[in-house]
Amino acid sequence: MDFILLGLQQLADPMVFLTMCIGAILGVIVGAIPGAGAAVTISILLPTTFSMDPLTGMTLLLGVYCGSAYGSAIPAVMINTPGSPVAVLTALEAKPFVERGEARRAMSLAYSSSFVGGVLAVLALMLLTKPLAEVAKNFGSAEFAMLAFAALVLVVIGHGGRRVEATAALAFGLFLATVGIETAYSTQRYSFGQSWLIQGIPLVPMVIGLFAMSEALIQLTGRDTTRQTVQLKGHFFSGFLEIFRYKVTLFGSSVFGIICGIMPGVGEFLAQQVNYVWARKLSKEGHLFGKGAPEGIIVSEATNNAVPPAALIPMLALGIPGEELTAMMLAVFLVHNVIPGPDLFLNRPEFVAGLYWTLLAMNFVIILFLLVATNTIARAALINKRFLGVAIMTLSLIGTYASNYNFSDVGLAMGFAVLGYILRSHRWPLTPILLGVVMGPILENRFRQAVGGAGGDLSIFVTRPISAIMLAGLCILLFFTIRGALKARRPREDWQINDT
Amino acid sequence: MTDPDEPQANRLESMALALIFAAVSVLLLALIGVATRTGQASGGWWTRPAFAPGVALAVLVAANLLTLWRDLADLRANPATPEEWAEAREKMVGWLRPAEFLAYYAVYIWAIQHIGYFPSTLVFVLGLLWRVGLTAPRWIWAGIGLSLFMIGVFRAGLGVWMPAPEFYDLFPDAIRLALMRWF
Repeated sequence: MDFILLGLQQLADPMVFLTMCIGAILGVIVGAIPGAGAAVTISILLPTTFSMDPLTGMTLLLGVYCGSAYGSAIPAVMINTPGSPVAVLTALEAKPFVERGEARRAMSLAYSSSFVGGVLAVLALMLLTKPLAEVAKNFGSAEFAMLAFAALVLVVIGHGGRRVEATAALAFGLFLATVGIETAYSTQRYSFGQSWLIQGIPLVPMVIGLFAMSEALIQLTGRDTTRQTVQLKGHFFSGFLEIFRYKVTLFGSSVFGIICGIMPGVGEFLAQQVNYVWARKLSKEGHLFGKGAPEGIIVSEATNNAVPPAALIPMLALGIPGEELTAMMLAVFLVHNVIPGPDLFLNRPEFVAGLYWTLLAMNFVIILFLLVATNTIARAALINKRFLGVAIMTLSLIGTYASNYNFSDVGLAMGFAVLGYILRSHRWPLTPILLGVVMGPILENRFRQAVGGAGGDLSIFVTRPISAIMLAGLCILLFFTIRGALKARRPREDWQINDT
Repeated sequence: MTDPDEPQANRLESMALALIFAAVSVLLLALIGVATRTGQASGGWWTRPAFAPGVALAVLVAANLLTLWRDLADLRANPATPEEWAEAREKMVGWLRPAEFLAYYAVYIWAIQHIGYFPSTLVFVLGLLWRVGLTAPRWIWAGIGLSLFMIGVFRAGLGVWMPAPEFYDLFPDAIRLALMRWF
């Protein structure tokens, strides 16, 4: 009870509440603008949150994260252009609705299933995080090292069709994480005597360069297309309760999204694609999927909205981020010396409780905002891509510079922007680079501690039961993945890429 | 699903990229003896400074070489047509397209330190809008609005500090302070 009241007390802080509203509204807007999106916005906002208290900063970023998952449905329905890759299925299913003059119904289905998926995932976060953290109290360095290793392997496996490229990107990220001073002997690695490299590769310029500036360069060098929006007619709540006619699909998709959110490396897109295929097989109306089936929209939206809150479960309980956005948020934790993991509940209960309640309240704020602003936001989705590119470039400078008040960081961001542009244009995934940079130090330190404690004996990873179970699970997963890949031997397909 | 506006690669272009990545990763691995120093290392192998970058680079080299081998095998099985070669050349020249915009960006960074944040942002935004063909009055107003937004939110709102150019010293104290604070 004290924990609940503590959370409500945090939520009642006007600064936290205001930031939550701003973050959620901003998230909906950028989610609705194709080319903007959560990754670009969070990377730019990241340095500004360093001066806020940890809960306020996290609330802002989480607002963008969750809001964008809702917002991406708006252009998918109203201009038949997905705001982000996770809205592709919504766009596919919504098109026949629009052609039948039922755009409002499609929008209501998308919003209501998003809401149910989001709220259920927050409840899962509230219920599962602490028990998982309790289990993690039994973990030693061997278990944490194995967990970090497993997370990285899952990230690669999650990039079906691009696993070799994802491995290369991950290895590059892990390498970047080693640049600068290492702690064991205080020697320098790959800094080549350059003073700006001694502290390692700074995270913020790297993130802004890879995710925001590379996006801006694509917008600036690409072509612009003219699109039109449809106007929504009818009552907002018409069709709002229709989702409950498909309870199994709705709750099944939400639970599936939660499970995928907890698993590192899966992400919204892959969760949604896999769930869509299964839902089509299991549904009585499976033949209608792709032709304007309400269940198709429910699967797409409930799954992708369940992932963001669920992705926080392993990060809060274990300190392991599973995808690029939680990896960026980990930076906020570290800047404020808030160490995620089993001790977080003991050391910062007010922070965790506040986070739970702001996430829950956020879903209500977003749905209320959408109630009044959908038509207006749809117009924002028509923003000229080149203007968007100019805006992102301008915002990127202040984001990069404000993190360290150093113009050399801006130069570094430009380098990563070129890398990001080239990798994106060749469909190489960027997320593994970021996860490699963030997870690299965790893996190296835990590995050193574990092997050091065992006197250099690597069998520590199989003699400790939890670590051995994780290793065995990983081996089985790898076996089936490699077998599946060898069996399939099909050409690389665009739809299999689960992110940028 | 990727944005249809993103540049599309062709096989030869992808192979050229894989070749560059493989060469860079092999070079980095070759430099490991020079780039990492053991110093007074006396612990086990797992504490050696070269261990972590060595493992990461070894995986990077292996993955890059595998990509290159796969691309080469694909090319041997289905040789490139003259059209593909021509397209590859054109696309590789296209790698330089972002360089133009990054050059403007570099000038912008330089200008901030010499003419101040607001004027340089205004010039950068309006110049870039003109460069990409957005010359209608509404875009000019949008550019001015964006520059004012940057000042309002980041300089005034969040108090982001920017270096003041020297010519601000020519103004009386009150104006100079206002310029430093806002522009």
